[in-house]
Amino acid sequence: MSARDALARRRSRRRRARRERSRRPRRSARRSAALAALTSGAFALPGLAPAASAQESFGRYSAEYAYSRYSEDPLPKSKVPTGGERDRFEVDMHQMHLGGPLLDRVDLGLDVVHEKMSGASPWYVIQGANGEPLQVMSGATIEEARTDALLEATLLFDRGQASLGGGISSENDYFAWNGSLRGERHFGEKTTTLSGGAGFSIDSIDPVDTDLFPTRPSHEQKWSTSVFGGISQVLSREAALQSTLTYQREQGYLSDPYKQVLVAGNPVPDARPDSRNQLTWLTRLRHHVSPVHGTLQADYRFYADDWQLTSHTLEVAWDQAIFDALHLIPSFRYYSQSQAEFYGPWFDATGDGLHSSDYRLSPYGAIAWKIKAETRFATGSVDWRAAFAWQRYLSSGDYALGKVSVANPGLVSFNLFSVSLTARF
Amino acid sequence: MHFSPRRAACALPLAILLALLATPAAALGPGDPAPAWSAPALAGGDAVSLAAARGKVVYLDFWASWCVPCRTSLPLLEELRREFPPERFAVVAVNVDREPDAGRRFLEKAKVGYPSASDPEGRIPARFGVETMPTSFLIDGSGVIRFVHRGFQKSDVPELRERIAELVGQ
Amino acid sequence: MRRLALALLPCLALAGTACAPVRPWERDVLARPEMAFVPDPLEAKRSDHIYFSKEGSLPGGEAGGGGCGCN
Repeated sequence: MSARDALARRRSRRRRARRERSRRPRRSARRSAALAALTSGAFALPGLAPAASAQESFGRYSAEYAYSRYSEDPLPKSKVPTGGERDRFEVDMHQMHLGGPLLDRVDLGLDVVHEKMSGASPWYVIQGANGEPLQVMSGATIEEARTDALLEATLLFDRGQASLGGGISSENDYFAWNGSLRGERHFGEKTTTLSGGAGFSIDSIDPVDTDLFPTRPSHEQKWSTSVFGGISQVLSREAALQSTLTYQREQGYLSDPYKQVLVAGNPVPDARPDSRNQLTWLTRLRHHVSPVHGTLQADYRFYADDWQLTSHTLEVAWDQAIFDALHLIPSFRYYSQSQAEFYGPWFDATGDGLHSSDYRLSPYGAIAWKIKAETRFATGSVDWRAAFAWQRYLSSGDYALGKVSVANPGLVSFNLFSVSLTARF
Repeated sequence: MHFSPRRAACALPLAILLALLATPAAALGPGDPAPAWSAPALAGGDAVSLAAARGKVVYLDFWASWCVPCRTSLPLLEELRREFPPERFAVVAVNVDREPDAGRRFLEKAKVGYPSASDPEGRIPARFGVETMPTSFLIDGSGVIRFVHRGFQKSDVPELRERIAELVGQ
Repeated sequence: MRRLALALLPCLALAGTACAPVRPWERDVLARPEMAFVPDPLEAKRSDHIYFSKEGSLPGGEAGGGGCGCN
């Protein structure tokens, strides 16, 4: 057989294998898929739970439970290879919070999250017959689970407070532990508050099925540290403003072990730089409008990193009191991001060795609507709160602020439904 | 783009500077004589005044229905009040709800045995230089402030009991 | 950069509506749960996690302040 024939035969075998891979659900891909989409996200932030308003809960016991169901839309037929997997992710999430006084002026809080995930997630992108990008999914999966726990102690001082926290996050192929320290101090007549803090996280990933996928790394680590500074200012009896700047640095293995990207026609592992410097600037405004018993909640976030990805987020909510005890809160969120410099749906040449076709690094925009209903009531000395919310999220290259010439076929749209119950006593 | 001087003054960097330089109203402390005052009662009926409790040790408490620690303190202060002879010790409260109805509703549920004045304009806390909610002043028999207690938690009660006992015993 | 400034303008404009000193006993509105910067911490954690997993950015925003100023 001539060299050319051999090459042609290898090529046709590869092509056949590729077609088969995209069609047949594979055991390995099943396990990997459950983790792929959330794993990179589960490469957790240093475990900083959002700072709740201390006044509502300090010195009191609180118990809260929330259940959420997250389900992604199946991919449109036009975005996948013929007969390819279209179903995506579903997650059942349980959140629990317990808090109470431990000592005089010391409160303790415990947060536990447990979620069960199933479904397929994006694997790599190929070029269709007309040159359009098509998303190859990793196939159906069995259930996977993630458990997170975070413990935080808060000390109350005369003019401020300080918190120390630590937590873990665990999945069958992933483990992380994190710690944080933060504090805030009031000035004036508590009309100005300065806050600051730092946190770290150490993540280990042991991807599954490395025997089936020899190019997949078998054990990797990632280290992240972050620091933030913020200021809150009471503007008037009815308005307050807060602005926070956060810097985070990540080092180590930052790629997605379950994703691949086509380079010169062949699927190769997702390869990202081994460091990332990130800056986030978040500003929040709260403005009550007494005559209509409503409150405006507006948040703007600017994000930029040294992978060249920048994003803008604007979230606007209106809290409308219907009766004293019932509040309806519709909200709208707009998001737009630019692409990472090593992103592309596919690559013709190896270049500097960095490449990814992950939609999360692609240029796109997203819009989301949400409606939440909340009721508060008291029984004896217990204050209750019950809430129900539904959100619809859509993403598309068309929604981006800039012009997107080729949108990633794996952009996600989802529904999120949640219910929660809180008791304070 | 036009920024009025008022808007510029509210810009964050300036706000920090202003807040840090801002001098809060002169807060009264231990050794200062408690200012005399009189105000209508929240629950209706006779007016409430500090002078009416002259000669006794007085625990003067500023509270509001929107202040969660304040709400916790009401029943606990009532218990504390009962531990001492009424001719030697009294609790007097000032409710600062802008809408007195909200304070009234809460007072009815709390069922305390001490009077609460209604001061929606906040004249009385301003005179005492209240810096946070809740704040209470422990005043001796001759009308001099002996202790200022800022904030409130259940675990504060033993210390308050000690201080009251000390003054009542004198 | 200009787009950024324009986006912030509504925030600053609203902020400028009344920057009067607020005394500690005048914080009835600020004490309302809907005036908190994070009214629902579990919801915020959930949203932050979902957007962090499904988008390319970081949540940000850990500061305190505002509210009733109690304790």
